[in-house]
Amino acid sequence: MFNKFQEIYIMSAHRGGGGGTATPPPTTTGGRAFTFLRAPTTVTAQMNGSAALADGASISTWYFSNGGGFNGDRTVPSPVIEANQGEQVAITLSSMMPHTIHLHGLDVDQQNDGVPATSFEVTGSYTYRFTATHAGTFMYHCHVDTNKHMEMGMFGTIIIRPSNGSTTQAWDNGSVFDKEYLWQLTTHDSTWHSGMGGGGSNLARYRPDYFMINGKDGANTITDSATAITASAGQKVLVRIVGTSYMPGIIRMGSLPFEVIASDGRPLVQPYITTEQMCAAGERYDILLTMPSSGQYTGGIEYRNIRNTDALGTVTTTITVA
Amino acid sequence: MRRRDFLKAGGAGLVGSTVFSISGLTMLSPGNANAATVSFNLTAEGTYKTLVDGVSVYVWQFIDTNSTGPGALTSGLVVKEGDAVSVTVNNNLDRNIRFSIPGVSMSSTRTISPGSSRTYSFTAPAAGSYLYTDNVNGELSRAMGLAGPMVVMTTNGSNNLYSGGPVFDRQYTLFMSELDDRLNAAVQAGGSYNMANYEPNYYFANGLSYPDTKSNSDTLIAMSVGEDVAIRFINGGAITYPMHFHGYHVNVASRNRIIEKNVIEKDTVQVERGECVDVILPVAQAGTYPLHTHYVPGVSANGVYAKGGLVLMSAA
Ligand SMILES: [Cu+2]
Ligand SMILES: [Cu+2]
Repeated sequence: MFNKFQEIYIMSAHRGGGGGTATPPPTTTGGRAFTFLRAPTTVTAQMNGSAALADGASISTWYFSNGGGFNGDRTVPSPVIEANQGEQVAITLSSMMPHTIHLHGLDVDQQNDGVPATSFEVTGSYTYRFTATHAGTFMYHCHVDTNKHMEMGMFGTIIIRPSNGSTTQAWDNGSVFDKEYLWQLTTHDSTWHSGMGGGGSNLARYRPDYFMINGKDGANTITDSATAITASAGQKVLVRIVGTSYMPGIIRMGSLPFEVIASDGRPLVQPYITTEQMCAAGERYDILLTMPSSGQYTGGIEYRNIRNTDALGTVTTTITVA
Repeated sequence: MRRRDFLKAGGAGLVGSTVFSISGLTMLSPGNANAATVSFNLTAEGTYKTLVDGVSVYVWQFIDTNSTGPGALTSGLVVKEGDAVSVTVNNNLDRNIRFSIPGVSMSSTRTISPGSSRTYSFTAPAAGSYLYTDNVNGELSRAMGLAGPMVVMTTNGSNNLYSGGPVFDRQYTLFMSELDDRLNAAVQAGGSYNMANYEPNYYFANGLSYPDTKSNSDTLIAMSVGEDVAIRFINGGAITYPMHFHGYHVNVASRNRIIEKNVIEKDTVQVERGECVDVILPVAQAGTYPLHTHYVPGVSANGVYAKGGLVLMSAA
């Protein structure tokens, strides 16, 4: 042990799942800005969705549904699924066509990893099972012809709550918050959504032309109640950032500083305060925003090209002190 | 032991008393820690690469028949900290090049004109992962394939990522790169290509695309539960690589040899252009899991999934 990566052992103090005793949840009432499904639950693969874009156009979408996609009012992203740390989680996929659920970041076993090459495609129904070992922010998405299926919208967020189920604490003995938002970073290349199923060389180059948070772009994002942050002066707002776009995004809360407290479902050893944070494809960042005394601010995501540091497109929303 | 076996060798092979002679590189046992004098001979060459879908593309490579790199790379350098290293580079390309290793100062910064050679000498720097390339032609060189990995082991050849650093049971080097076949065609035709228009459509780990990565021992990451496996990501391409681990979280140890202080467990590790990121993977469970760029178009060959930058990790 002495010769090992010593920080790993320092980290264990921050880890959950080790049988530690969780503190009682704070009494403040939590406030999600989004609806969710409580595991165990079932989602159905859908290949007949559509998404309304701010320019009046509409694109076809594929997604997972349980009475609707994200927030119940849009197809993409797919619904948020929640469970508690320590639970045996069961998520059933029902599908007419071959799809899977990859439980991104949850370190599940091979059988439940949702990768066709190392497990199997699901036509019909399969219940994915895993133990939730760490509270935090995770992702799920289809892993069949992933470049196409994921871009079409077959993705959502999984939130693992602390052992006691608190909705005002990020992990056992972790940061507390008053309100909670989820920003799922998504971009679309509209040409990938046209035609029947795509595939082949038309998928050779990814050129996103719509830049979104939670499946809304342009003016729709500015007013979207699932995305636009409203809280009282001094309240702590947890924003879970999920890097679902293939392109990295720079997170900004206007000029407001925020604290980065966790990434990829693990608390940071050294949380830090910044005014911008990059979130690459597949990453998650949990950030804590303490609301200033007054005012309205413009936050959002600046998507960057993986090729260089050029901005590809920007999406903004409002941060309002109520 | 072939040099490519060395790149992924486990602890027993490294700390034993055996003297390895690999490609002119003499690895001395810990009992004799004197720095070695090592030399390499690289030829910068235009050649043809057959891609995973059978398409043949004109590429540039550093070729060292004595010291081929891991996987399908045509060269690779493995040295120990403090070694006196000399690299002779022969330029068979049609333009000037200059051998360069970011983070290492060379005896010469002069270029090599077409048809001539030059020898660059340096003292092997701090243990860690490095990228060598040509730095005259900018990103065009990396887009064309003119780059390779250099792994510097500690002075005594121990299984530490750096002196006093994390210990590993095995190590793998994953050199990530990609190409845009339109650029290669333009260069082959003697034309130029505006890198602003670079949009790759083929992606590689150690020069191989999945499923070819499965059948090469350098890109099939074999490991055992309970081990700590070092993975050295060396981004030799001209795009960023957000590398996602299925089945595991890893600890980021260093970025460009700078020790990562805010150690956290990550399942996705962003590797910037030209960056070298060393991680330690504690093998927590058995099974076979993918490791791939989450720029998911990078897991395809000209749009066909999953023939791209994906390798499998298999834990017994
Ligand atoms: Cu699917
Ligand atoms: Cu994923």
